[in-house]
Amino acid sequence: MINIKRTLEYIWIVLIILTIFAYLLGYLKLISTSLVGILLLTTLIKGALVSDYFMGLKDVSGKYRFIPIIWLSVIIILVGIAYYMPIPMTQ
Amino acid sequence: MSNLSTIKEKYPPGDFAIWIIIYVELITFGLFFIGYAISRRENIEMFNSSQLMLNQTSGFINTFILISSSYFVAKAIYYIRTMKQNNIKESNTKASKWLVFAIVCGIAFLLIKISEFYHIFSMGITLSTNKFFMFYLLLTLFHFMHVFLGTIILFNIRQRTKIAGYTPDDYLGFESGASYWHMVDLLWIVLFPLVYIIR
Repeated sequence: MINIKRTLEYIWIVLIILTIFAYLLGYLKLISTSLVGILLLTTLIKGALVSDYFMGLKDVSGKYRFIPIIWLSVIIILVGIAYYMPIPMTQ
Repeated sequence: MSNLSTIKEKYPPGDFAIWIIIYVELITFGLFFIGYAISRRENIEMFNSSQLMLNQTSGFINTFILISSSYFVAKAIYYIRTMKQNNIKESNTKASKWLVFAIVCGIAFLLIKISEFYHIFSMGITLSTNKFFMFYLLLTLFHFMHVFLGTIILFNIRQRTKIAGYTPDDYLGFESGASYWHMVDLLWIVLFPLVYIIR
């Protein structure tokens, strides 16, 4: 039981650290093309942690556990494609 | 979930109806997120310059607040799930305490957002100013309404914990409300970097 309480605390700390990382990238204007990929990856990790540990879906079998993670992955991949795909030149 | 054993549960925590709502919300917001990313490609400079008018610090504080509130709700549900017949009142009291923190976070989020909206609207910005602000206002106003509703739900759950209304056999409503609140947090986790940071 104590381990579950500790785990929730660790998850909260990881989420806050990743949020501070994202904020500093924006605030210090450090955001670059390559760092956007890392930022999207940290967003995926944060979402998966919330889904698994806060929502408690890690204790749920099969599709119900993975629906939010699949949703998140699809969003992150499509946002990444929209960001990185070259923009066609127009006359 | 009835206990904390290692056996996987067949269904997610809470009433299944709330999960239908959660899935619909995820799809709706997801379409908005993708629409934002695609629209940004059409006019990157306008999106970047408009984004500079947002207050990243208040966006960060709101992310901190929502993640923390989600943590507080997770702590509250922990006490409800581990409750036994002989400690119903004690477990409800502990859950109630953590819910108060979560509700305060919800109210703080709403107040910060209201001040952000006031700032934006006082600059004469509306939905029709440009595509960036159309997406920004639609996404954040829509999300604001979810936080508002979520805070009311948490308040109602807390009222029931005050009278030790949840028992080891009856806490489905608590789990449903908690799941909804975590969804609100999950949506903001994507919204924050997408609208406030990525440029």
